[in-house]
This record gives sequence, structure tokens and C-alpha cells, in this order.
Amino acid sequence: MKPLTVFASKFGGKVALNPEFVVEHAQRYYLLNPALRKIVKRNFYCAGMYLGKVKGGVFFPSFNLLNMLVPIAANKVILDRKAAWLFICGRDIFRKGIVQSMGSQRRGDCTLVLNEYGECLGFGMLAADLGDASGRVVFRNVLDVGDFLRREG
Amino acid sequence: MSGKEFFANRYRQLGWSFREVEPRQAIRINQVNAKGKNLPERLRSLGVELEKIPFLKEGYWVGKSRVSAGATAEYLLGLYSIQEAAAQIPATLFAGVKGKTVLDACAAPGGKTTQLADLMGKGSVIVALDVNKQRLAALANHLERCHVRCCVVYRLDARQASSLDLKFDRILLDVPCSGNFVSDPKWFSRRTLVDVQRNSKVQREILTEAANCLAPNGEIVYSTCSLEPEEDELNMDWAVKTLGLQIQVVNCLGEDGLTAVYGQKLDDSVSRCRRIWPGETQGFFVCKLKKRLNTP
Repeated sequence: MKPLTVFASKFGGKVALNPEFVVEHAQRYYLLNPALRKIVKRNFYCAGMYLGKVKGGVFFPSFNLLNMLVPIAANKVILDRKAAWLFICGRDIFRKGIVQSMGSQRRGDCTLVLNEYGECLGFGMLAADLGDASGRVVFRNVLDVGDFLRREG
Repeated sequence: MSGKEFFANRYRQLGWSFREVEPRQAIRINQVNAKGKNLPERLRSLGVELEKIPFLKEGYWVGKSRVSAGATAEYLLGLYSIQEAAAQIPATLFAGVKGKTVLDACAAPGGKTTQLADLMGKGSVIVALDVNKQRLAALANHLERCHVRCCVVYRLDARQASSLDLKFDRILLDVPCSGNFVSDPKWFSRRTLVDVQRNSKVQREILTEAANCLAPNGEIVYSTCSLEPEEDELNMDWAVKTLGLQIQVVNCLGEDGLTAVYGQKLDDSVSRCRRIWPGETQGFFVCKLKKRLNTP
């Protein structure tokens, strides 16, 4: 549970998960629903909602977890259509691609990235204070949904 | 016992004249994830031409497209899946899956698993099985992309499903099969009748295990994308006569199942199966089964 709550706190949010329904298996975390909880055996490959994994001491969130954070996280940026496309292609973001920002605008902070429809495309880290930078990369891509394609590539 | 001429002659004996068929890409809208998002319009605004598939509730054919349907943000966000049109049929044939415990016995890469999840509500469970590690990884990705919450996946052969010690209300058997020439351009040079017979044997073993795991009044949907009757009607005839299963009437695309195959007369109820010769879709076969009332 700790890696999940620590990760959520980086976005200025507190994720409320019932520990009874969170299962750790092979350093991966899953959230089960009550019906699944009753029948799941220990030797599963994956189960319920995948939340993320710990590898080499680092927590890698799932997109399910990022989606859960959207309504509770304070730090978010909304990108315009072009920047959203570049972001899911794995690119960093310039200031001009950010339509709206909420929460922290300080360098080094983690921020969820949303498209114009409010859908979560991933997350990144501010490479510069949002107020300062013009024309420079202000947002480093850490994880984006294009990862689904890259995983299977 | 292989080659294009050999198989085309077999199809002719079954009443179908071989012709080349161009596969059409199809998508299925994930209704839960795409609710209220007017997805067809969003895709059209990206330059994707869509045509509603008349025999499917959530299916669209993809026409000309400025972007790859498998690389849009909407796809990556799980708003739709790429799934061949005929392959969208089996999961819709169950008489309700809400609140049920469902076995997807040969689940990877997960197109039908995510479809089942989309049709199920709270309190439902999918148990998905597959044996191939690479295919399991693809299944897990598919489940994550589509935000599926109600599924547990085991690395387990469908022929060992009873080791889970569960009874299932619904069992989807999209069994490993020989496939067909529409989805594999080299099919005729790859496949022989020996492959077909080997697959048929495995399919019967899977059917036997499924019958053992089926809850009272439960349903099995059996499907293949094989055109070979050994994997289709002959297996269903065998299941009726050996496993105490009864073939149910289904209402979907396709012709009646064959009841006379290469001189062999099959149970009349096999006509309730649906055989889809290549044309609008790839070749496909689907059938719904229930236990006979007096079967233990």
C-alpha cells in the first residue's frame, strides 16, 4: 500500500484504498472488487484493477491508478490537441501546448496530463516553473498512454 | 491433404464456392468507457471513416482513415477495441452476463474478455485462462487499457479449468483452431488436415472440461474461426452425443450449421449452430450449448 499512497501524494492528492481489497503479488498491486476477493487464488497472473508495480525500488503506476487520481489530484495540466498528440508519442511539452494548469506550477513537481476532454494521458514532471518559461520545454514526459503500443512493439 | 485446391474442394462439397475475401478492419466501442463521449463523431473528426455494422450493437467497420485505428488516443484510452466483426458475436450470445461468474477459457489476447467485461455489471466476475506467457502479457495490457476491474487471469490450460474448483454460469470457449485463409494469407500453405484433426482433439478435451465446470442451467458459447467441420459441426455433434449438452437456438449472423458432412449425418440440432462463410466477415463458427436437464 505504501508505494501507492506515496505516489499519490506527489500529485497533491490522497488516494483512499481499502487495504482489504488491495493485493500485492510479484511486486505488483491490484485492487479487487468484493466478488473477486472471494474467489481469487494466490497463483493468479493478474487480477482486478492493476495499480502499479515496484521494480528496482521504484514505483511504476498503472493508467488505472492515474485515472483514479484525476478527481483527487491537485496538480494537473490540460493540453491542446497538438500537444496531447505529441505527449502520447512520448514527447516533452512546451509552455504553449498547455491550455490550463491546476495546482503546483513549481519545477520538479509531478503533474497529471489531461487532454481537452479531461481524459488522463499520463503524467510528467515540471522541468521549469510554469510562469517563467516561454518557448522552452516546461514539462518532461514520464509516462503516457502510448506506452501500450511501445510495450508490445 | 493440404493446399488451396484440396481445401477449396472440401468447401465445395459443403456447399460453398471458394473466393478470395478482403478482410475489413472493425472496431467495437467499449460502451462503459465511451459513455457520453460521442465516440463515432470524435473518430470521424480525426479522419476515420466509420460504417455501422448492421448485425452488431457496438461494431463499426473502418473505411479510409487518416490515422491508424490502433494508435489514436481514443484507442489507447480504452474507448474502443479493434476486433474483427464476426469475432464480436460470441460474447453477445449469452442470455445475460450481469452478476454472473464467467469463464473465458482461452482468453488471450483478450478482445472477447474485454467485451464480456463491458457487458457485465457490478458483482460479476470473469476468470480468464491462457497458457502462453507472451499472449498473457498482451491480455494483461488489453485489460489495463480497457480499465477492466472484474477479471482474474490465471496461466492455466483450459483443459485443467476444474482445478480452480469453481462452477461457472457462463463459459466462453473461443478455442484454439486452425483459423482460415481470410485472416492468414499463407493459410493454405501452412495448414494440413492433420493440423485440423489435432486441433479437433484438443477442442473436444476443452469442451469436456467446460462441461464439468458448468453450473446448473449454465451456458457455453463455443466458437472458432475455422471453416473445417471437424472443428465445428462434428465437434458439436460429438458434444451432444457424448457430453449431454444441448444446442440452443441463437439469433445472429450466419447460415444454419451443416447436418450432413462428407457423407456423415449429424444430429438435427446441429443446424442451430451458426456457420459464417467468408464474405462480409472472416470465416467463423459459433454455437450455444446448455446441459440437458437430466445430465448430472
